[in-house]
Amino acid sequence: MTDTFLGFERSDGQVGVRNHIGVISIMDNVNPVTRAIADSVAGAVPVTTLFVRGQYGKDLEMAYNTLAGMGRNPNLNGAVIVGMEETSTNIVADRVRNTGKPVETILIQEQGGTVNATAAGIRAASRMAIAASRERRKKFPVSELVLGLECGGSDTTSGLASNPALGRAADRLIAEGGTAVVTETAEFMGAEEIFAERAVDAGVKKAFIKMVLDHEAEAMKAGVDIRGANPVPDNIRGGLTTIEEKAMGAMAKTGTTPLVEVLEYSEAPSRKGLHFMAGSAPAVESLTGLAGGGCQLTVFTTGVGNTIGNMIMPTAKISGNINTIRDFPDNIDFDVSDILENDKSFTEMGDALYDYILDMASGTITTSEALKQQETAIMRFGMTI
Amino acid sequence: MVRAIVLNSQDNVATLIDSGGAADTTVELRGEKQGTVMLKQDIPFGHKVALADMDVGAEILKYATVVGETTAAISVGEHVHIHNVDSKRGRGDKTTS
Repeated sequence: MTDTFLGFERSDGQVGVRNHIGVISIMDNVNPVTRAIADSVAGAVPVTTLFVRGQYGKDLEMAYNTLAGMGRNPNLNGAVIVGMEETSTNIVADRVRNTGKPVETILIQEQGGTVNATAAGIRAASRMAIAASRERRKKFPVSELVLGLECGGSDTTSGLASNPALGRAADRLIAEGGTAVVTETAEFMGAEEIFAERAVDAGVKKAFIKMVLDHEAEAMKAGVDIRGANPVPDNIRGGLTTIEEKAMGAMAKTGTTPLVEVLEYSEAPSRKGLHFMAGSAPAVESLTGLAGGGCQLTVFTTGVGNTIGNMIMPTAKISGNINTIRDFPDNIDFDVSDILENDKSFTEMGDALYDYILDMASGTITTSEALKQQETAIMRFGMTI
Repeated sequence: MVRAIVLNSQDNVATLIDSGGAADTTVELRGEKQGTVMLKQDIPFGHKVALADMDVGAEILKYATVVGETTAAISVGEHVHIHNVDSKRGRGDKTTS
């Protein structure tokens, strides 16, 4: 029997697990208007961003790809895209319109300032929210799901309990024809040769190793010891000593299936199975990349406790650290501490986690949604000019 | 009882999965190695204890994989962490070119 969840069908054939209206900033200048619109409309979520204006080359391309990708994410029923002027706004808006979902642009210069722009945005978003509320969830096979695999605030229990449990859940999802995406390039430094052995072919293997080594070379160019940034001090307090040790633990959350494709930051998978997405390690940036790449939901393992989620992509926190389960309960969705406390197997806890993922896909909200612990940040390499 | 888990039989470190790892505590090994090890110093929850004597420059094995190398001699029962282990990767500060 095929495993199923209840989702929202979109006109481009994708399936949403939420039914939000996204209010999306096209650059940092317009963020206050974006927030004002989203605050005024039930069911609307603000997708703000820093920079974009003044970015160029690879950074600008990555920013537009990510904003458009978030707009295209099937968890958004419609999008109100807020910009200063027509040209830059339409670069993103046109790519969201391609999905067939409702899109309106709010151009602050044309509207004659922020007051008029906010009013126009509220009007557009509220109409979309009412129309979106007419949609009903339908049953879909698990093969429609794209799950992000993420970790943050890692400690030794991440590598011993929560990551192996998530790996088992990812294996179950992929066995049903689903898709999973792991990111955070630096977390693989030191373990890249081992993970590369799981590539489906020589091309994917080469692409993966190149992605990791390029990232390392980029950081080395600065002439710094990147260990100051990764593992970060809370990792070290938790007992992780080196980047290699952290990488081995991080890899456990990918389960055992072959690596089928290597993606750029916020690039959508083109096939089913396990994917690797290039991206920086800080949680907000990697969650933004996963949401921009079309993941409908993410499971985020944490050791010492991490709180953040994404506004368009539900993000569940799981922990295998009994101290975190006791002392940090407001921000934890799923407890796998029985692995270390009561000798439960990864398989048993991973299977329970898989069932929870399907519940979450069908509408059960996560702590990061309930408590609105949501943020966006797009990865960047260079300065603005 | 303080427990420590060994992830692979080749590993020369175990990870404490209970707090209370004070000096002179006997820790029970779980996972891929059985037995006990006596702690020579306080070791916090989630941190590693040495299962073998190691010279400077020795490889630290966890998950049967090299996760770093020693910067000081370490004896059985000692705390293994950043004060006596260094990463072998990501050292842009050691690149001369």
